[in-house]
Amino acid sequence: MSIVTTSGLKKVYKVGETTINAVDGLDLAIEKGEFLSIMGPSGSGKTTLLHLLGCLDVPTSGTVTIEGKETGNLKQTALAAIRREKIGFIFQEFNLLPVLSAVENVELPLRYLKVKPAERRRRALEALEKVGLTERANNKPGQLSGGESQRVAIARALVTEPALVLADEPTGELDTTNTVRIMELLRELNEQLDLTVAIVTHDPMVAERTRRIISIRDGKVESDKAA
Amino acid sequence: MTFILRNMWRRKARTFLTIFGIVVGIFALTVLGGMTARMNQQVKGMKGFIAGKISVAPANANEHMGMSVGGGKFLNLSVARAIEKVPGVQSASGMVMVQLKQSEGLSQPQMMVAYEPVPGMFKDIKISKGRELAPGDAGKVVLGSTLATDLGAKVGSTVTLKDKSFEVVGIMDTTMGVTDTWAFVPYQDGLSVFLAANPFIKSVDLVQSITVLPKSGTSIEALATTIGKTIPAIKTTSPVQAEKQISQMTTIFSAIILGIAFIALFVGGLSVINTMIMSVSERRREIGLKKAIGATTGTILREYLGEAAMIGLVAGACGMLLGLLAISGLNRATHASNVVIFTVTATVIFGPVIFATILAGLAGLFPALRAARLNPVDALKEE
Repeated sequence: MSIVTTSGLKKVYKVGETTINAVDGLDLAIEKGEFLSIMGPSGSGKTTLLHLLGCLDVPTSGTVTIEGKETGNLKQTALAAIRREKIGFIFQEFNLLPVLSAVENVELPLRYLKVKPAERRRRALEALEKVGLTERANNKPGQLSGGESQRVAIARALVTEPALVLADEPTGELDTTNTVRIMELLRELNEQLDLTVAIVTHDPMVAERTRRIISIRDGKVESDKAA
Repeated sequence: MTFILRNMWRRKARTFLTIFGIVVGIFALTVLGGMTARMNQQVKGMKGFIAGKISVAPANANEHMGMSVGGGKFLNLSVARAIEKVPGVQSASGMVMVQLKQSEGLSQPQMMVAYEPVPGMFKDIKISKGRELAPGDAGKVVLGSTLATDLGAKVGSTVTLKDKSFEVVGIMDTTMGVTDTWAFVPYQDGLSVFLAANPFIKSVDLVQSITVLPKSGTSIEALATTIGKTIPAIKTTSPVQAEKQISQMTTIFSAIILGIAFIALFVGGLSVINTMIMSVSERRREIGLKKAIGATTGTILREYLGEAAMIGLVAGACGMLLGLLAISGLNRATHASNVVIFTVTATVIFGPVIFATILAGLAGLFPALRAARLNPVDALKEE
């Protein structure tokens, strides 16, 4: 069964008089355990697609189905519940909360899932171990390097064991060495945990490390092939 | 909880200033609250003193706090005897008051109250040691608790008031009201002290006021009217009228407290709103992130409301503690002269803290709603 399918997915923005078809009738299926990248130049609609897949945004028309559940008509609270339970997000700027230590940042999604504190801590430390950052658990984001910060963010994305991890330019702020490391880590997690990962990027070096590359242009799929 | 505190601590100076603004208001509220509590205590004591009685004074007398104090105008004791003949009157007791010691600042004046002892006259003021004055007593005194302490008097000991010796037969319970500094003596003893103190007044059986007790089952308000109509050149004050006069006095004080509360409300509330709006706009990305990883509108709302209320709670507690400190300091300073200006009650302690917390929470509502309603996609785009 597909983790995520979209059918005739459309997102239209109006800026003044102009209408922008950010996503323009897109059909897509992501299977469990896939490791794929969504590529395209800036303005191609790839980030909008990611927001739609992650239930951060609602489509103008068409559907997004996550694990068999249609999300188009859901209310904000229900969408928040899907994000909480099924989706893990990784962002370009890491988006760690500065007042929280690494392990507390990783715990945050579990808080929203109302997991008990002891259990929360155990699972967060486990996730930090998976990204190789156990010894930095009590450091604040300000004390971490870019690569370390992104690994904490990855731990935060996988701590809830989501159906789908969505990464928006996860290496955009990193140098080449760290880019390679992060991509290797994501691939390892994909293989070891059977984690489904979709990465939005414009960087071919990132895309070529995934197993499927979907190219987007003007809100439509340009090509969809195995890497 | 810890997150709320840590978030507050991110902008130390700003949080401190916001808290300080509220602290000032709450400090004032606590101190004035303590004063009001003391005031209410005295009024309560006063109400016990006037309950169930009609006060009769010369028609042209000044009135003060529900009691006719003569103001240089007097009645003859024979008026009391005439009032006793009015149907429904149980007793009419003539009364003369002599000041023993003037009030110093906010302290209570020490008064000698001379009256014709009648059973049940001061039934709301309990005697803690000894007994009440009885008809036929002479050279006896019942002392208010503060005055007894001042004089070092015990039941059975002798005290000198205005060069006259009295045997202490009773000491009253502490009421925290005006009667604590009063000495109750039989009418004739008091009259002689009064005449000695006012040598220009002709020596007759004069009284400043007459206290009338009704027979049981008689409507006291109606009786007051009847007496006023029957006896010429007097004016009656019923318990209801007396209470009205007392309430007028406390109303002014309550208005001041309310005014202070409103100033605290505006200044404190606005600064909380300002602080929280800034916190929200600084943390738009964080709010977006939290929403992306599954926080609901309600969760974000609670986080920010919690932060605002915490500012109020901390400020309220600090302001209240400072207020209590000031109160205890001032009370200690005036203790030597047996003056109590402030009373600390549960309302004085918890009222301002609860007030500050709710105030700040309400002020935080608008910024918190703004935060909670942020669209995550837009919020995440923020730099």
